[in-house]
Amino acid sequence: MNISEKGFFAIKEMLYKIADDQLILGHRNSEWTGLGPVLEEDIAFSSMAQDKIGHSLAMYEILSQMGESDPDTIAFMRNDDQFHCCHLVEYPIGEYEFSLMRHFFFDMAEAIRFEMLANSTFEPLAMVARKIKGEIKYHTMHAQIWINQLGAATEESNLRMQKALNETFPLALGIFEPGTHEEILAEEGIFEGEKALQDKWLQLVTPILEKAGLQVPSISSITPSYGGRFGSHTPHLQPMLEEMTEVFRIDPSAEW
Amino acid sequence: MKINSIDPRVNRSKIDPEKKFEEAKELDQWQTFEVFQQIKRGMHHQHVGCVHAPSPEIAFLFAKEQYARRGQCVNIWVVKSSDVFATEYEDADIFDSAPEKFHRDPSTYKVMDRIQAFKERQKS
Amino acid sequence: MYGNAYIDPSLAPNKLTQDEDPIKLAEFEARIAAGDKIEPKDWMPTEYRKQLIRMIEQHAHSEIIGSLPEGTWITRAPGFRRKLALIAKVQDEVGHAQLLYSAAETLGKPREEMINDLISGKSKYSNVFNYPAITWADTAVIAWLIDAGAIVNQLANSKGSYGPYVRALDRICAEESFHLKYGHDNVVYLATGTPKQRQMVQEALTRWWPPIMHFFGPSDKISVHTETLMKWKVKMASNDDMRQTFLNMYVPKIWDLGLVLPDPNLKKNTETGLWEYTEPDWEEFKRVINGDGPCNAERLAVRRQAEEKGRWVRQALLSKDSRYVTPLV
Repeated sequence: MNISEKGFFAIKEMLYKIADDQLILGHRNSEWTGLGPVLEEDIAFSSMAQDKIGHSLAMYEILSQMGESDPDTIAFMRNDDQFHCCHLVEYPIGEYEFSLMRHFFFDMAEAIRFEMLANSTFEPLAMVARKIKGEIKYHTMHAQIWINQLGAATEESNLRMQKALNETFPLALGIFEPGTHEEILAEEGIFEGEKALQDKWLQLVTPILEKAGLQVPSISSITPSYGGRFGSHTPHLQPMLEEMTEVFRIDPSAEW
Repeated sequence: MKINSIDPRVNRSKIDPEKKFEEAKELDQWQTFEVFQQIKRGMHHQHVGCVHAPSPEIAFLFAKEQYARRGQCVNIWVVKSSDVFATEYEDADIFDSAPEKFHRDPSTYKVMDRIQAFKERQKS
Repeated sequence: MYGNAYIDPSLAPNKLTQDEDPIKLAEFEARIAAGDKIEPKDWMPTEYRKQLIRMIEQHAHSEIIGSLPEGTWITRAPGFRRKLALIAKVQDEVGHAQLLYSAAETLGKPREEMINDLISGKSKYSNVFNYPAITWADTAVIAWLIDAGAIVNQLANSKGSYGPYVRALDRICAEESFHLKYGHDNVVYLATGTPKQRQMVQEALTRWWPPIMHFFGPSDKISVHTETLMKWKVKMASNDDMRQTFLNMYVPKIWDLGLVLPDPNLKKNTETGLWEYTEPDWEEFKRVINGDGPCNAERLAVRRQAEEKGRWVRQALLSKDSRYVTPLV
């Protein structure tokens, strides 16, 4: 592995962003456990939430090995302005169609991102990318099958799914907010870049949504919800973090 | 009236405790699929249970997490319960005599005595 | 997670065996006596079917409602290890509900109908889940001791006579062992941790002890009713026997951690080998089971809302040519 000092910082920034997305979305999705629309889906959705949290843990572990704190401290001791997640993952779970559409947009991006990272010159990340490939594949199967079946099933389901799509689309574009070190990452073969990812994503999701009877807004008409990558968040994140860390913060030095 | 729960999820969901429950109508539920799971290549698929699902694709999504979220699995089949043709237990007597078919039982073929006797005869 | 089927003692013993074909009944009972299992399409006495549906359904409801007290802390579990484990545990409870509803369905009652009866209050679930999980430590106590109690009950029931229930319980028991280990680990960390943590777990234990003592239900007087259910291997052990098994296995482990149980009379009689304890408050038990517990209203309201929120999803994908049939399981 030949990574420059600049590359090292760029990797850290990227890992934080990826891990924070996974943690926050996994946390949000875990809220459905016990409250899902049908028992079997409750179980499936909960598994994917666990996978996401597990993926974030794997990322934080890499960060730890790069000199950052241990994963629990990273995840449970920061305030919102120290988080690098995109706005999409911060929103409360809402109605099921919202959670489902968010899951679809996010996981389709995640699948492409990790496919790209599987060939990264940063071997620890490439290794994780190869290891979690199957889990992410299931997440995308899950998302696609649901979107495909609910999109045009009934008038109500179509309305709900379209509304969820309209709400989440600008937020989803926020996934691809460019970081400060895009060029270094690309130059050193670590990651091709958010722009490339967004293009591939749009090419992938558009036909699936259209086939499901949903309309995809023209990207030029949408202002992406940016800021998350630089610590500027929606008002939903800080209360969520306070809730998540309530017990941990009773005594952060204790073993729980 | 409002529910004041210790569970923040419940508080967020703004439940109206006074609301009257509208019972699900008869058959406001999906069909069922029987799930068969193969633990390892080379082994038979085994029936492990059922899922409620609206389509085979969703049945697969459900079966995977309900029956294969822990432990090994390499393949899953889902079959509509209504497509399974099953025998009746009251007809189980059709199977009764199968274990008694002596002509299929390898242990009923004992030739060593005969071979031995043959060898003895040859010698003399 | 489940205690024991609650048989209301004020109900008159049903006419258990009357009006049944005596030859079929004799065959049925001989099959059970021989240790054979009963399968869904077999002939069975009406009362056998009725009691099994009631019992498996109560068990299924207990799992889905049981996911709520621990779910209370799902968004607040401290640290990755606990966070992942708690989500997985609560998820397993939902999974158990699915397995149990399926087993009950084979007896002819569709899942939706059972869920309707749960929400309308027509059918019961285990009483313990009507108590709140006030702190994180409550989830640890629940995961350890309520699941331990459930295992005592479920292991007994897994030797029962009804095939689909037995198969579901085999799977459930295997999963519960993770819950029990997780719960014990969680309690041990708190009990051996900081003074604050220790105080949390002691308080939770004190709170949960009365519901735990209620868990297996009141002493069951041997009646014609229970005798027949035991002969049919529907009910596998008396409430008191299960309570004794539980106390014998877990009180020493609790004391081992230096934790105090809020019953000065709790001790093992060395002569009889049985545990003695202050008689639990059965009036409270009855009051709570009949709806007047600290969380009954909330539990049902949450379940009702989950049903209602999910309804559009279920309805959108209903189709005329894919009608529900009883699963085989």
